[in-house]
Formats: sequence, structure tokens, C-alpha cells
Amino acid sequence: MFRQQAVEGRRQALASVKPGDSAEVRGLNGISPMLRRRLRDLGVAEGSVLTVLRLGPFGGPLTFECAGQHIGIRREEAGRMEVAPL
Amino acid sequence: MNQFALVGNPNTGKTSLFNTLTRSYETVGNWSGVTVEKRVGTLRGRGGRLIDLPGLYSLLPLTPDEGVAARFLMEETPSSILNIVDASQLERNLYLTIQLLECGRPMLIGLNMVDVARSRNIAVDAGALQRELGVPVVPIVARKGTGCAEVLHALGGLEASRSGGFRIDYGPAVEAGAARLAALLSSGGTASASDPRWTALQLLEGNEAVRASLPAAVRPAEVDSILEQTAEELESSGLESDIPSYLRRIRTERIAQICRSALDRSGQRLHTATERIDAIVTHRILGIPLFLALMFLIFKLTFDWLGSLLSDVLDGFISGSLSGAISTALTWLGASPFTHALVVDGIVGGVGGVLVFLPQICILFLLISFIEDSGYMARITLLMDRTMEAVGLSGKAFIPFIIGFGCNVPAIMAARTMEQRKDRLLTTMLVPLMSCSARLPVYALFAGVFFASNRALVVMGLYLLGMVLALALAKLFSRTLLKSEPSLFIVELPPYRMPQPLSLLRMTWEKVKGFLRKAGTIILAGSIIIWFLSNTGPGGVGVDMNESFLASIGGALAGLLKPIGFGTWQAGAALITGFMAKEVVVSTMNIIYQVPDMAGLEHQVAMAFTPLQAFSFIAFILLYIPCLATVGVIRKETASWRWTFFSMGYSLVLAYIVALIIYQGGRLVGLV
Repeated sequence: MFRQQAVEGRRQALASVKPGDSAEVRGLNGISPMLRRRLRDLGVAEGSVLTVLRLGPFGGPLTFECAGQHIGIRREEAGRMEVAPL
Repeated sequence: MNQFALVGNPNTGKTSLFNTLTRSYETVGNWSGVTVEKRVGTLRGRGGRLIDLPGLYSLLPLTPDEGVAARFLMEETPSSILNIVDASQLERNLYLTIQLLECGRPMLIGLNMVDVARSRNIAVDAGALQRELGVPVVPIVARKGTGCAEVLHALGGLEASRSGGFRIDYGPAVEAGAARLAALLSSGGTASASDPRWTALQLLEGNEAVRASLPAAVRPAEVDSILEQTAEELESSGLESDIPSYLRRIRTERIAQICRSALDRSGQRLHTATERIDAIVTHRILGIPLFLALMFLIFKLTFDWLGSLLSDVLDGFISGSLSGAISTALTWLGASPFTHALVVDGIVGGVGGVLVFLPQICILFLLISFIEDSGYMARITLLMDRTMEAVGLSGKAFIPFIIGFGCNVPAIMAARTMEQRKDRLLTTMLVPLMSCSARLPVYALFAGVFFASNRALVVMGLYLLGMVLALALAKLFSRTLLKSEPSLFIVELPPYRMPQPLSLLRMTWEKVKGFLRKAGTIILAGSIIIWFLSNTGPGGVGVDMNESFLASIGGALAGLLKPIGFGTWQAGAALITGFMAKEVVVSTMNIIYQVPDMAGLEHQVAMAFTPLQAFSFIAFILLYIPCLATVGVIRKETASWRWTFFSMGYSLVLAYIVALIIYQGGRLVGLV
């Protein structure tokens, strides 16, 4: 149980992961259902490992890599994706 | 006849394969959502029809283009399926494959992009995949045509075979529910074309399209009660309560199991070249300036460096040798002066006057095709999303905008790939403000006369004007008419690839063919009608042009157009005829001013307009109304006359206001 809490404690938003760092997806419940559906279509679900590639200009989209594919989403939505840094 | 449906995830090369297997030249590109409508072709050498469908991730469609594919599979029940799978993205692609296998139709898998996979050290064992899935798997490289002969051959033997018994056991609760649903369906008495177990599983997954197509004898209440019961049993057996996510989990587990024997990604490398290019072109500071520089380069090439030079050569040929030869031939044939005038002034003047701009249109289409095929298109959406979000649109709306620089009709259809209805509708309304290639001849003519020294800048200014107004109106419309939904943005960035010269030339030719077809139909017919209207009047045939029907039609508008700087019947007539197709504006001017070549027309136009009036006129042409073909496609895509009339109405008002500001404002500051 303590270990569980330790893991919980390390949860953070995808938007706060620095470019070049990797993280594992923990929760997608905060994002809009349509976006969640699209991410699932692309194979991004709880347990997927992502690497943040770069951030767009002026608060523009965040690009990440997952299983060899590159995907861009808005930083606001990335702020609602829960991940655990690796 | 045998029907084969081409099905697969977006951007996996379906249309490339379709083009090779049927000798077609449908547009291909390197982003998700190039194909938005189904296309039918005849298989090379062996008969049978191949249907190219828009890409989809699963049988539950989210966007209208996916809906086209999903509906086709359910309603038209093709005899066999050709499933294209991207070897470098095997896990994600197999999800759709599993749903297709459950349909129970004969199926062949084309394992595409094995070269891309190999270059990234991803090893896919086609034999193992074939054993796991129970259907033939053929490795191919659709872009290069590798393996396409084998696909054709294998399709021939496909008919007889049923798919080899691929089946997932979803556990007692779901299997019992599926069996009860299947029994309910067959008790309905109607023999459905689809496999009952597949239909049952789709119902359990919540597929609305399948549910809507159930025979009337099946009572919805009974379906619901089975669904509820299954959900309860699933929950009480200690598993999830949500059936769709449970099904997804079981399928994903099965895919992982398949991949353990068929896929080796242990040595996988990243797309190093793509990473390096993206580090520059999507750079947070350099990205947008680079994009703008690219657009400027396109205008320079089209209007300055290359296009106008070639156009001058073609003009010399059409107005000189060709017109002369036709004139001589007519005299030799003993044609009457009437026929002579109709052919030389009406047809050669009207159609030839537009064909002169062919080189510029070719160059523009070639450059757009290059952007489409390289993979840069998806990056543009990434760069522009912040701006688009600020006005209430998705960055993905920029793809229709760029396509709209070529032609508004496919651009409006491209709006289908966006997830939100609001994004689609707004984009459909605003695409007509993108300067299409049909408006190019008008700009080229007027800019050549009045702004010769900085032609590319003036034309780019017009393109930017359209773009800026589109963004401003997006803000306005999303605040007032379409408040409900926020926009949505998610984009896949495919690996870059070098467009192949041959495929690039074919894509350009397909688009140019559309322009030539228009020249031979609408522009030709328009020119003949305009010639007649300008040579006949209440006083009979051969009247002075100022007394003609055309003069009275155009003259009716003159009073209205006076405040914006061009209150002549000639301008009024050109605007009315320009609704058919914007190029007809140039045809009309050619006929009205009865000039033998571009130099003559340029002289006449210089007499009729001052520079300020000319600028007001081309800005009005840019904005005033979507052309006839665009109106047709707006009606089709929105399925609403109200939105269609709205698109025409707002653009007329907008054009008038903008032209008024340009002309009256210009006069105030002392321009002429």
C-alpha cells in the first residue's frame, strides 16, 4: 500500500514533462472523450510509454513519441493527462 | 462482379496500392485523411472491382470520412476485403484487422511499408502473421509497386476460401451475451449478410451504425436487456463493467500475443532523418518564419520567376500562331463573318485568354502536390494550431485551407477529417476565402497591368487578405453562430519521405486536367454565351456592344458598384459571369474588349481602371462569392440550404465592405 502511494505521489501532468524525458501514461480520464478515443485509436492508453519531443511556439502543441509514432496534441489537454515519469 | 474493398488505418498507402492495382491516378499524400470519399476502379488484368475507402482506426467511426468506410463495409457487403497494414505500426493496425476478421469474409492482408519497417530495424514475420491470423499475408511496398503482382494473384484465389477460423474467446459472460444476441438476430427471420456473431459483438461494443441497420423485427428493448445482463454478468465475475473497454482490452492482449511471435522491435531505431528535419521546421522560433518563407517562395515561383515567363510564351503562341492559323483556316473554309467572329473573338478569345495561365496553374499545383506528398502538411497544422485555436478552430483546418489554394472543391471535402462538427462547418464556410487557382488568372492579368514591378507581393497580399479575413470571421462566427463546442486538435506526424518525381507529375496532371476540362466545358460555354449576349441586343444581331443584352445586364449593377470604384457595365457583366467559374471573368473581359492578345487586353484594362479601382476590383473578385461548383459541394457537405445561402450571402457583404474601404479609403488618402 505504501508503494502504491509512492507511485501515486510521482504522478504529474504530461505537459510538465521536459522534452527528451519519458513517462508512462496513468490516467486519461481528465481529457475530452473524443480526444481520448483518438488517442486510444493511435494506441495511446494507460500503460503506454511516451517520450516528449518538443513544445510548439507561444504555448503551441506538445509533440510526443509513442511506439514509434509522433503525435501532436494541445498543451492544455497534455496538462490533463496523468503520467508517471520514468 | 467481384468486389474487393480496400480497408486499413489512415495513411497506410491504400490509395497508392489502389492506383497501382487499377492504373488510376487518385491523389495520394503523406498525412491522415487524404482520401475522404470512396473510389471505384477495375482491377488490372483480371477484372473485378476494387473500392478504395477512407482510412479508419476501428469499425466505430468518429468522423464523416470514417463513416463513409464503415457504412460501405456494413451496407454494401463487399465479397472480399483487402486489408492494408502498416508494418512499422503493426500493433495499432491489427486492431482494425481483428474486427474485420470477425466479419468472416474472405480477406487478404497487404503488409505495406516493409521497407520503412526494415530501415528502422523492425522485423515483421509475414509467415508467422499468416499462421496467427489464418488469412494470407503478402508483404508489399505500395509506393514502389513491389509485391503488387502477388497481391493481384492472391486476390484471384481468395473467393473460394473462407477466412481460416480466427476467433477470440472473450470469456463466458461476453460469449454468452453474444450467443443470445446472435440467436435473437436469427430468430428475426431475416437472413442478414453479416456474420451473426460479428453483429452481436459490434452491438456489445456499442456500434450505433450496426444498431441502426438491424432489421425491424429485432426489438431494441430485447437488445438492451441482453446488453445490460451481459454487463452485470461481466461485473459480477470480477471483471470490468464497461463492455466496450473490456472488449478492447481482450483484443489488445491478443494483439500483444500475436506480435510476440510475428514482430521483433528489439532493435528499433527512431526516425533519425525525420527527427532532424522536425528539429528545424517545427522549431519554436524558426518554424513559423520558415513556413512563411516557403509560401513566399511558392508565390515568387508561380507569379514571378517562372510562371509568368512561361505564360508569356504560351500567350505569344495562342494569340499569334494559333489564332492566325484558325483565322486563315476559317477564311479558307469560307466561313461567314459571323462564324469567324464567334470562333476568333468568342472562343479563342474567351477560352484562350484563360488557357494562357496554364503554366502558372501547373507550377502552383506542382508545389502544392510536393507539400502534400512530403509529410510537411501535418507539420503545418502543428505550427498553426495556436493561431487557429485563438479564433476557435482546429489547427487541422489549415489542411483544407492549403488545398483551397489549388481548388476550393476538394478543400471543402477535406474538412471531413476533423472530429468536431463545429470545426468542419466553420472550415467549410471559410475555405471559399482561400484564393483558388481560378482566381489566379484575374490577379495575374490585373497585377501585370498595374503592379508589374511588385507583382508577387501584391498577389501574396491578396492571398494573405483572404487568410486574415478567414481567421477574423472564424473568430466572429465561433463567438456568435457556433458557440457550443470547443475545437479539438490531435495530429499524427508521419515520417517524411521524398516525393517521387513521377507520382508528383501524375498528381499535378490530374489537377491540371480538371482545369483543362473546365476550360473545355464551363469556360467554353460561358465564352459562347457571353459572345452572343455581347453581340445581340434589343436592336437585333450585330448591335454596338454598348446596346447589347450584356450591357443592359451588367449595367443594372453599375449603380450599385459605383461606390466601390467600378461602376461600369463591363465590370458588372464580368462579376455575374464569374459566378460560373472565376476564370470566366478574364474570358468576359477578353470578349468585351475584343482584343487579339494579352498585350491588347492589358492596354484596354489599363484604360478602363485606375490602379486603385483595379485593386478594389481584384479584392472584390477574391471575396465576392464561392463559384458554382463550390456552392454545390457546400450544399452536399452541410446538407443544408441555409448554410449554403449563408456562405454566399456573407461573402457578398464582406466583399462589398472590403472593396468600399479600399476604394473610399484610398481616395481619402489621395490615391487614384
